[in-house]
Order: sequence, then C-alpha cells, then structure tokens
Amino acid sequence: MSDIKIENVTKRFGNFVAVNDVSLIVADHEFVVLLGPSGCGKTTLLRAIAGLGMADEGRISIGGKDVTYLPPRERRISMVFQSYAIFPHMNVFDNIAFGLKMQKLDKPEIEKRVRRAAELLHIEAMLDRYPSKMSGGQRQRVAVARAIAMQSQVLLMDEPLSNLDALLRLEMRAELKRLLAELGATTIYVTHDQIEAMSMGDRIAVMRDGVLEQVDHPTTIYDYPANQFIGGFIGTPPMNFLEGQVQRENGRTVVRIGDFAVTPQPVMQPLLAQYDGKPIVLGIRAENMETLSAPADDALKAQVLVVEPLGSQNLLTAVFGTHRMKVSTHPSFATHADADVWLRFPVDNIRWIDPDTKQALYPA
Amino acid sequence: MTNESIVRTKTRRLKIQWAPYVLILPSLIYLATFFAWPMVRAIRLAVWDEGALLTLREEAATRGQSAGALPQGASIALLDRQSIIAEPGEPVGGEVLTETWFRVQGNDSNGNPVEGWSPESRVRVRATDDEGAPTGGSIRPKLGAAADPLTSLYAEPNENSAVTGKLNSGATVVIQEQADLEVWFLIEGQRDGKTVTGWAPSRMLQIYGDGVSGRIDTGDTGQFTLTYIQRMLNDRFFRPALSTTLLLMVIIIPVQFFLAIIMALVIQARLKFNTLFLAIFAIPLAASDLAVGIVWYSIFTQSGYLNSVLQALGLLSSPVAYLTADTRHWIIVAIWLAEVWRATAIVMVIVVSGLQAISQEVLEAAEVFGANLWQRVRHVILPLLKPSLQVALILRTILALQVFAVVIALSGGEVVTVLANETYRQYYTLRNMNVAAAYAGFILLISMFSAVIYLRMVRSQEEANP
Amino acid sequence: MTTTNAPPVQVSDEMAQIRARARRRLLVGRAFTYLVGIVLALWVLIPIWLIASMALTTPETVRSYPKSVLPFITFSFDTMQFFLQSRGIVPGLINSVVVAVITLVLSTLIAAPAGYAISRYIFRGRDAFRLSILAVRAFPVVILSIPLAVTFINLGIFDQVYSLALMHTALTLPTTILVISSVFASIPYELEEAAQVFGCTPVQAFRRVVLPLVLPGIAASAIFTFVMSWNEVFAATVLTVQNRTLPAQVLVSLRQSPEPYKFAGGFFMLLPSVIFILFIRKYLFNMWGQISK
Repeated sequence: MSDIKIENVTKRFGNFVAVNDVSLIVADHEFVVLLGPSGCGKTTLLRAIAGLGMADEGRISIGGKDVTYLPPRERRISMVFQSYAIFPHMNVFDNIAFGLKMQKLDKPEIEKRVRRAAELLHIEAMLDRYPSKMSGGQRQRVAVARAIAMQSQVLLMDEPLSNLDALLRLEMRAELKRLLAELGATTIYVTHDQIEAMSMGDRIAVMRDGVLEQVDHPTTIYDYPANQFIGGFIGTPPMNFLEGQVQRENGRTVVRIGDFAVTPQPVMQPLLAQYDGKPIVLGIRAENMETLSAPADDALKAQVLVVEPLGSQNLLTAVFGTHRMKVSTHPSFATHADADVWLRFPVDNIRWIDPDTKQALYPA
Repeated sequence: MTNESIVRTKTRRLKIQWAPYVLILPSLIYLATFFAWPMVRAIRLAVWDEGALLTLREEAATRGQSAGALPQGASIALLDRQSIIAEPGEPVGGEVLTETWFRVQGNDSNGNPVEGWSPESRVRVRATDDEGAPTGGSIRPKLGAAADPLTSLYAEPNENSAVTGKLNSGATVVIQEQADLEVWFLIEGQRDGKTVTGWAPSRMLQIYGDGVSGRIDTGDTGQFTLTYIQRMLNDRFFRPALSTTLLLMVIIIPVQFFLAIIMALVIQARLKFNTLFLAIFAIPLAASDLAVGIVWYSIFTQSGYLNSVLQALGLLSSPVAYLTADTRHWIIVAIWLAEVWRATAIVMVIVVSGLQAISQEVLEAAEVFGANLWQRVRHVILPLLKPSLQVALILRTILALQVFAVVIALSGGEVVTVLANETYRQYYTLRNMNVAAAYAGFILLISMFSAVIYLRMVRSQEEANP
Repeated sequence: MTTTNAPPVQVSDEMAQIRARARRRLLVGRAFTYLVGIVLALWVLIPIWLIASMALTTPETVRSYPKSVLPFITFSFDTMQFFLQSRGIVPGLINSVVVAVITLVLSTLIAAPAGYAISRYIFRGRDAFRLSILAVRAFPVVILSIPLAVTFINLGIFDQVYSLALMHTALTLPTTILVISSVFASIPYELEEAAQVFGCTPVQAFRRVVLPLVLPGIAASAIFTFVMSWNEVFAATVLTVQNRTLPAQVLVSLRQSPEPYKFAGGFFMLLPSVIFILFIRKYLFNMWGQISK
C-alpha cells in the first residue's frame, strides 16, 4: 500500500506562508495533479512530500508510515525535476542507473531495469551518450527513465513538461499518461497548465495562495467549479462572469442583467431566494451559450467586437453593457465584427457565485 | 517519435570577417613578441654557443669565401699578415691590431708628383693640425741593404694593389688622408685532426709574445652545445635547488588544496557575513610574494613573534634561531607556512567558482535517488569539480616551481635555494646568461612535464571509471 | 475536500525525534562551520596584524624582544619614515607606480579589443587563440625574463621603466583578455542590436549601451592589473638596475637591511594591494572563475 496522506501541512518562509494547512489524500495507484498559478505553493508542497524543504506543521504519511521529517532517500520515492537535474558528468545509462546503484542492486538487475526503462522512453539507442550532446526533449526522457527505473511506489513530478516546446509537450503528455497508467505508481504531478491537468489526472487538486481550493475529478472541476477563481482558471477560454441583481417576480426568483432576465433552475430557487435584492454573479462557459442571429425573447442582445476563427470553432468577443464575454460558435454561424448577436443561456449550464465570498452555490 | 534536432541556443550574426582579426591583432603581436620570441631566445641561449667556431677565409676579406673553421681556443700558428679596412663593428674580444695608412703626396726621384697610400711604418709624421690629425711627414729610411731603397705608394691602402709611384727615403710628403686598417693574419690550426688554414681578423685572435703563435679567442659562428646545460647540472647548487623546489611542491600543494576546499565549503554554506569571509580569504591574492616572505620573517626571526609567543607561554626559556644555516628544516617549515598562507587563495577562488557551477537541483536529485552526504560528495560533487581542480593543480604547480622572493626573504637565498633563485644568481651575480637560461629552460621543462602528467592522469582516470 | 476544522495532527514520536535530531545537527553544523571560518579568517588576518604592528611603531620597538602587537606597543610612524627615507625607496616607489600605471593602460588597451572579439565574434582560430592565451598564462616568468634582459640590453632599453612596463604588460595581458571577454559576454548582444534598430551606428551602440555596462568590470580588471604589476618581483629585479621598482629595491637590499626597514617595506608593499583588492572583491569571482577553462 502506498497511499499518500497529507494532513494539515503548513510551510512558511519567514513571514510568508507558502502552504497553508493543506490536507489531501492520494489513494494507492491514483494520479493526482496539483494545479495552480505560479507561487500558489504547489511545488513547495511537492518538495515537502519529497523531503526537500520539510513541513513546519502537519504530517505526511506514505503507505501509512509517518515520513514527515525523514530525509528524501529514506522515503523510497522517485522524482522528476522541472529542470530534469540529469547528472552532466554521467552518460545516460549511469544516470538512469544512479538510484539503483545507490540501492546496491546487483549489476544484472541494474542492467535489466535500465534497459527496460530506456525502452519505455524510447531512448535505448543513446545509453552511452552524454547529456551535453542531447536535446531538451531527450534529457527529459532520461529524467523520466531514471525515475521509473527505481520502480518506486510513489512518483513525484515537478512540471516535467514545462520546458518543452508546444508540439513536443503535446506528444509527451499522451505518452507519459499511457506510461504512468501502465506503471500504476501513486503519482503526484505538479503543473500550472490546466490543459495538462485536465488531460492527465485522475483527480485535480487546485491550489491558490497556499490553500487547497478544490479536489475533484477533472470533469467535475470543469463543470462544477467550487469558486469563481477555479471557474476562471480552468478551461480555455475561461468561464464568463456576469453581474446581475436577484429579484422576486411573480413568485419566482429571477436574476436581472440589465433588461434581460434569467430564471434559474427550480433546484436553485431556494438558494438564490436568500439573495433577494442583492447582486449575484452568473458564470457560464463560452461553449455553453446558444447563439442566434435574430432576436428572441429569452435571448440577450450583445454586440460582436472580434471574431476569431479558430478552425474548429469561432470565438466571438461580445459586449453587453459593461460586460465582455467570450462566446464559442460553430464556424457556420455567420456573423462579423460590430454585428448584433443574441445569446441564450441554458439555465442548466449557469453557475451561480456569491459575489462576496466568490464561492459557487450548489444545492446541498 | 519525431526527429529532434539539437537546437542552438544562441546564434550570433557573423559580422564582416575582418573585424575580429583586427581586434586581436595587437594582442597576437604582443604575445608573439613577448612570449614566443623570448622563449625561443632563451632556448637558444641555453644550448647555442655563439662564438664556438671562427670561420677562416680564403682571402683577407670579411666576406671572403670560407676556408674552414677552427674551434674557439684552438692553438694557431701565424703564417702571414695583411691589413684591410676595418669593418665597422665592435671589436669583439682579443686584441685588435690596427695599422694606419696614409695617403700622401710627394715628389719622386724624377721630381714628378706622385700620390698614393703608404703604411705608417714607412711614413714619419712631422706635422699635425690643431686637432692632431697628421698633415705632413717624410718617408722613413729603409733598413737592411737587400731591401728596395724606394718606398712604394699604392693605389689602395693595401700592399696587393697597384703601385702608383715610388718615393725616396726622406722625401717630404703631404698627408692627405688617414685610414685605420685592421690586421688580418693567415693562420693554421687543427680541427678534428685536420689542418685548417685561412685568414682571420686579429680581433678574433690572441697573439702570443713570440709573434708567430696564438690562439682563437672568440668565434663568429654559433654551434649547438650542451656545455651550459652540463654546467648547470654540475653546478653545486643545482641538486639542492632542485630537491628543495620539489620538496616544497610536495609539502605545499596538497595542504593548499585541502585548505582551499575547506574555505570553499565555508563560503558555500552561505552563512551570515559570507561576503566578509570571502573578502578575508581572498586577501592573500593581492599580496606580493616578497611582502609575504617579510611577514613570515617577522614571525620566524630570532627576535620575532614565534619566539615571543612561545616564551610568553613559558614553552621556551630563550629565543630559538630558526632561520640559520644550521636549521635548514626550520627554514623549510617557514617557507611552507608562508607559501600556504599566500597561495591558497588562488586555489580557493577556482574551487569556489567550480562549486557554484554545480546546480542545486542536481544535488537534490542525487539525494532523492538515495545518496547520503558522502555519496553525494563522491558521485556528484567531486566529479563535477574535477575540471576546476585540474586547472588549479596545473596552475599551482607551475607557479610553485617559480617560488622566489619568499625563499630569499626567509633565507637570503644562500642557505636554502630554489631553482628560480639559482636562475637569478646565475644571471645577476655570476653574469652567466647562458646558464641562467639553462635554469629557466629547466623550470619550463618541468612545468610542461607536470602539466602533461596531470592531464594524462585525469584522462586515464576517466577511462578507468566508465 | 479542503481544510477541515479538526485540531491539527501531530507527527508521530519517531518523527518528532528525527526532526529534533536533524535540527540539532543543523545547528551544530552551522556552529562548526562558523568556527572553522573564523579560525581560517584569523589565520589570514593575524600575520597582517603582526606586520602592521611592526611597521607602525618605533624602530626601537622593532628591534626589541620579545615582540608585542598593537595596541600594546607605541604607535608611531617613525619606522615608516625611516623606510621611506632610505636610499632608493622613494624613487623605487615612483618607478613602481609609473610601471604599474603604464602596464595598466597598455594592458587594458590591448586586451579590450581582443576580449571584445572573443566574446562577440565566432571566427576561425577563436578557440586556438583562447587556448594559446591560457597556455601562455602558464609560462614561467623566469624563462621570459632572462632573454628579454639580454634583448633589452642589446636594444639599449635595458633598465628603463617603460621596458619593464612592456614586460609586465605581457605578463598581465592573458588574464586581462580573459576577464574582459567574460565581462563583455555578460552583456547580451541583443542590447547592441536593439540600439542599432533604434537608430545608432554600431559604434554609437557600443558607446552608449555596452560601454557604461562594462566599465565597472573593466575598471576592476585594470585595478587587478595594477596590483599584479605592483607586486611583481622577479622580472623587476632582473630588468632594472638603477631604476628599480619598489619590490626590486627591497629585495636587493634585503640581506643588509635592518629589521625596521624590512618590516616597513613589507607592510608598505602589502597595504595598497590589500586595499585595492577589497575594493574589487565583487569581481574577483567572475575573473578567476572564467579563467578555469
């Protein structure tokens, strides 16, 4: 069993709290992505799990064993570093074999494991090459091979793809996901790229300013973000947010945005009734709006500012009053800059957000 | 998998091709003039004997055809003499025998005016001008009944040239011109068992009192020789200087590396006052080796600090003399301390910059993958530090071979001597440039030799540890 | 799935012990490092203090035994005065300064273009040039001084300050070239290109953009060159007779000179160098670091 239990972990640098009372359980064989903007504390947390920069408070357990203050080499983990940290003075074989040598495995075993790892990463032809003679992508493969050769139960990865160029990143993402699924190690993967997170993780743990904001399956986070930040952080383009007023009309609670009225789902009515007379934030994703080229009663009128033809979709920037929104339409939808467009908001796709706490409102 | 090409991180636009060459030209010229050329010259001084042979000529003329050569110092027999116009050049050694000729004008026995050259042995000067130059004289009488009573005048100041006229003894002449000629001799000597005959200028010869024999004083042609090197090797100070220099190298350099690594580690630990530590450790970089020698002299001299402290602590009852001829080992200790104090900083600076080049993440990766402190040092830090250590070692060894002022400050250069000191002594005290150059060349040889050995050692290590 | 309001968990006792032990080890390690650092610093500083004490006191105190240090002995400039008034010292001082200044100027002037060329251009022979610079740095000064002495005698320029300065320039040139090239290399070429895009000629771009940025580094290397020339002993002793530099003068009269003279001389040679180096210590690492291939 090698589940990872992070309990109330706090890490400070002087007066700055990098990781603030974070608790998270990663199940055995699970792949969890730590996602967040730069400086949110995800790398600090990862390093605390690795033993590079110990936690100030809290407990970290691996496989049930408390490892909070154990030095890294006693935690039996593997890690891939952001800058790869390949040993420049050793060839590829010795790099991959390093951890195995430290464990004093015998030579045939080392040989077998190194070759297997190199095959998995498709670098078996460069085992006697030196890092200075390799490209960034190749070095990254060596870093991953070195980590998986250890056959550890726990694998930590610190933004391993961020130094690769876009095309390579795309390829490696899929390759890595497949490889790690086969290996089945408990993995914590740190990234700031939400596409990577969505693509790879069993679950995503979103962090901001040292605090864990939401931990859920990728689709759950995408469809049901816990707060405005997550809604705006996940998804390209980010979720649109509109300010509206809650009012009671005809026995129902409606939200007015300018002249336009939206009637929330019945299941949301009781919740929103509490906001009667107060402002509320409406969130909706670009691809969840219906676009009409002719007026309709239940559609909001907006002006198209910019049309970006992206191939598989057209991305419209539309303005309504002081609100600016991104709307995704099928390429066949005919419109142009300065044209009028009518937008329908399917209520199932609307997320309601408390304007003060920024938390999303969900029925209990 | 796509083909990945190695991406060049930086491409510099190649400017017009001539610019870099123009920019490095002054330095190239300077380096060639002050390094390449003196080196060649020094080697030449050490193995080339400038005046080993004297080239004899077929005729008494400086650019005459060579008739062979005789080694310097060879005994010669004088067969004949002749005077020719002296070459403008400094008289080199020997004794320059000159003969003065006058161009005179007088009337011959028939009363006709004749003009020509005559040696001073035939003309007696009777009148001189204000500056002492002869203006008039008379022909001397000839001695001996068999000789021609008339004195010949020649077209050139040379007895082989045409006779322009003859004058009687006692004839009055006007002296128009004077020429100082150098005497050349037809000599004969032995070289490698063969007899060599030819003309040579008197300035290259030493003539004995009997007038018919002599020896070659200096030569004019160089020859490869090992005499200077032999002289150096047989010099009574050579062996002590060599052994002292090597001994100092062996006891100083390892200690310096050890201390330098410790200093570098202290700096790497990044404590508070780090920059202060760094500045202090680096102070000896700026110290002249003579100043350092004097500093440590003040400690080791009989009335110096070492004795003062020991006596104050009660460990001594009276001061001990450390720097005398009887206490060579103490002088070595003093030199050892002084050099360690002075030159450790050089190694430290190189080691620090080498340490800083080791990325922190690489050390963390080593730790994650199971290496404890000692293993990290052995498998990561030392290998990555090796190039820096190598450079430091080569540099330090070459500098150690040149230790000079410290030795003089602590021992006067007599009791304890080193190779550089011997070079200086040969040059300054003994005025023997060639042996000094031999010493210098020897130092260069050992320096290059050690550098090659170090490089070989490292390369073979790299091959041994795959 | 975020933070709970339960009381914070405690680590196991084993962990607490490990943590405490690690903390102790860290503190002990730190203290030990401080100790070692202080010992080494004292090792460097004490001899300087000793010679300063001897130089800044009366000659009688210098000759006395046992010796003591400032501030326990009388402070006086007498010894220094005695030294400075000794025969040949003030001229030697002037010669040293003149030689060092000429060396500084000449070395920097010749090295700067070469350093720029190495850092900015890729040209055939660049590696060979760099290698030869590194190689000549290793040449013993002994083997250069003797033949140059002979040559200078033959050319009639022996025993002149400017000929010694020529020699010193040669000795310091390799180091200066390497340092200056690394200084230039630290300024990205894009800056010059940007200036040219915005209207400067290449020369103006260099003058306005690069020069201000490299001047501190070049100044530091110039000072280092000055110090190297000031300290140089062997070539100075070989190449000067009447117009000795200070180290040469002190060396030659070392045997016969009384102790006050010696100590004052040592201190006097030491002081300016130490002060200069303390000024440019920031740059020392770039300089020497670059020099290790």
